[in-house]
Amino acid sequence: MPAPDTLGPRVALHLLSRAGYGPRPGEIARVLDHGLTKWIEEQLDPQPDSELSSRLSRFTTLDYTTARILALTNADPRATGVVLDELASAKVIRAVHGRNQLQELLTDFWFNHFNVFVNDGFDRYAITAYERDAIRPHVLGRFRDLLGAASLHPAMLYYLDNYLNTLPRRVGGRVVGGINENQGRELLELHTVGVDAGYAQGDVVEASRVLTGHGIDNLTTSGGYLFRSGSHDTGAKQVFGLSLPSGGGAEEVEKLFDHLAIHPATARFLSKKLAQRFVSDDPPEALVARVADVFLRSGGDLAQVVRGLFGSADFWAEAFVTRKPKTPFEYVVSALRAAGAEVANPAAIRRALADMGQPLYACNPPTGYSNRGADWLNPSSQLARMNFALDLASGAMTGVTANARSLVRDAGGNPDDPRSAAETINRLVFGGTLRAETLSAAARVGSTGSVPVAARVGGLLLASPDMQVR
Amino acid sequence: MSWDPSRRVFIREAGLAAVGIGLAPSSLMVRSARAAGAGERVLVKVFLRGGADGLNLCAPYADSEYYNLRGAIALPRPGSAGGVINLDGYFGMHPEFSPLLPFFDDGRLAFVHAVGNPQVTRSHFDAQDFMESGTPGDKGTATGWLDRAIARIPGSQVTQAVSFSSQLPRSFLGPEPVLVAQTLAAFDLRARNWRAEAETLLRVMYEADRTAVGATGRETFEAVNALLSAPASPPANGAVYPNASVGSSLRQAAQLIKAGLGTRAIFVNVSGGFDTHSNQLQNNSNDYRPLGQALAAFATDLGGLLDTVALLVTTEFGRTAAVNGAAGTDHGTGYCMMVLGGRVRGGRVLGRWPGLSRSLLYQERDLAATVDWRDVFQELARAQLGIAESLFPGYTPGPGVGVTT
Repeated sequence: MPAPDTLGPRVALHLLSRAGYGPRPGEIARVLDHGLTKWIEEQLDPQPDSELSSRLSRFTTLDYTTARILALTNADPRATGVVLDELASAKVIRAVHGRNQLQELLTDFWFNHFNVFVNDGFDRYAITAYERDAIRPHVLGRFRDLLGAASLHPAMLYYLDNYLNTLPRRVGGRVVGGINENQGRELLELHTVGVDAGYAQGDVVEASRVLTGHGIDNLTTSGGYLFRSGSHDTGAKQVFGLSLPSGGGAEEVEKLFDHLAIHPATARFLSKKLAQRFVSDDPPEALVARVADVFLRSGGDLAQVVRGLFGSADFWAEAFVTRKPKTPFEYVVSALRAAGAEVANPAAIRRALADMGQPLYACNPPTGYSNRGADWLNPSSQLARMNFALDLASGAMTGVTANARSLVRDAGGNPDDPRSAAETINRLVFGGTLRAETLSAAARVGSTGSVPVAARVGGLLLASPDMQVR
Repeated sequence: MSWDPSRRVFIREAGLAAVGIGLAPSSLMVRSARAAGAGERVLVKVFLRGGADGLNLCAPYADSEYYNLRGAIALPRPGSAGGVINLDGYFGMHPEFSPLLPFFDDGRLAFVHAVGNPQVTRSHFDAQDFMESGTPGDKGTATGWLDRAIARIPGSQVTQAVSFSSQLPRSFLGPEPVLVAQTLAAFDLRARNWRAEAETLLRVMYEADRTAVGATGRETFEAVNALLSAPASPPANGAVYPNASVGSSLRQAAQLIKAGLGTRAIFVNVSGGFDTHSNQLQNNSNDYRPLGQALAAFATDLGGLLDTVALLVTTEFGRTAAVNGAAGTDHGTGYCMMVLGGRVRGGRVLGRWPGLSRSLLYQERDLAATVDWRDVFQELARAQLGIAESLFPGYTPGPGVGVTT
């Protein structure tokens, strides 16, 4: 790893914005003091966060099983709303207030990679367990474990219709059931080797045959995973270089996961996606190859892969610093953190994210939300971002507390003087890295009017082009 | 990114001067936006994401193979309960499209069947990418086909190309400015007592940013000011739009066309349950009901202005000819387009029907494609935007299917 500790606030801001959701007030100075390398190591080895736990303690359903959520909603359908509110609220609070920033960010990344859609029937009840049990525990573990947990979770089996993927049977002269290719295709195209790996339609059918019988126990009561051997196609199969003899059962899918999880095409596909997330919309080929090499040599150890990314010269290269536009979620969370906001009720935040085109857990297609920052630049989303910033800084956001006046005053600035307010926020939050034009424009706000000077200055800085990129 | 974001800069000199002297530039922006004028032809592309099944959108009910293949999800013949609506004695449209029947009957709605991607892929993402870039088989194309179309017509105001979607669609990717919005209602800066000051100072910040972020900020303010100047126009002629997002998108598309802000190309993104791997009958009804209502309301609302419009409904691929094991269909090939507009040669099902017997199916599973969608896209671009030269690198489009006059 380069020696980032010798570098200043700009490097600290870069690290906090790439490996986390951006700095809270004073954090750049604290992290520089602490040491950037040490901060990275701590992020790669997340420890319990008791402060976050106490913030989340008022939520009751985050640790419920799918069966318990089904029981709850069977008794009172309105409970579904509570469950989903709690899930989305916890996501925002974790990102804004959690210490384990990298773990939160990777949970978001891998959930999006193995996307499921909250408004898809049964998944409303299974999505809480899906993120908690199938995604979160594995984001710094082995990709093989993540792949197995996500692929065979009832939320995924439902979303990609695999619970309906069965060996066709003849019942009284009628054919019942049959192959459903949905998950077999996405397993190859989106989850592992990628669409350019060179597989054929035949591989999709064979992967689907391997997946036959892997389904869900009962959609309205237990909601648990169940393998039905009678629905499994026991014939011999050939999937993208893997031969499976006839007579196989549930273990076939594990062999397929073993085969795909450490396939060179998977290493490449995932390394490119991670490099896109952490370095650039268009990452250098050499970087992708190097990260893929770490992936293969470590047997798909995701902590090693991420460590390899942070250790690459490209991660720190000036050419990529502040060049990646933030997604709506990255923008909103970074603005809340920069404002030193306390989030009690994220309802307004979730509405704003929907306005910006990224409602939480509600990406319909299995591709997930775009990983390219440039895809999120458009006037409608930009206007929503500016309005989010202005609302936030002026204290007009219900359920969120942010006070630009006291932020500036506590840091020794004069909240009624535009220049002092702008310079204080620049130093405290951004480590003095804001562009001269941004700073001087914010310092030009008038000193009269009903919205306090510090709130206007803070709002403009949060709405600035500097805040749109990481 | 291989296109140059600085080419997206189009803030007028007048706007810049106004910022310099500390004035809100709204009044100056209004005139430039208005200058484009109403009455020019408009191309609307409605994209059904997910691979909408053409065989149940426009069903070949007179082909007995249709009933053999589709089994439980075949739509009944015309006249039966839940049956298709007869179009020409051979094809029938989905029963939820009943609001569209008057437009088919008076020749303003056409279907184009068995359209497909010449480079067959059953990946949603690749098929959409190929279709929107207009270069099947080549993922490296930097621009979308509608961006290339807009580049060939005069004018550069942000309201010239509009997309009702949460993100810039691949069709519009490229240097031309595009207004991307989910809703145009309340499209203004929310700074109660200091709006003019906030706009002025934010403009200064975004003017100084020479990246794509700065360009987006400048487009944002141009759009805000253009839309503030547009007169409010509630739906006319008794048109009633459904609540679904396709309804609000088409209602706003009609408003833009009526406002005369120089809009020439509109993209409407529809992300419903078109990827019908299971429970297809219910999913299709849920999606086609609001789609039919919204298209009928759009045509009614525009009245005589529908003569200036050609609206294309398309998707990325069709679905398997046979029902699968879950009362659904998997990813396929040939699909069906709809074209609505005052000058459309409608009242017919166009294209060349390949048939459904097993030997005629593509790879013995999908409706074969006999019409290249590039030919239809080009035909519509020629009729609506006056573009004669090919919009598709490496391909010379044929005359099309005769859907325009």
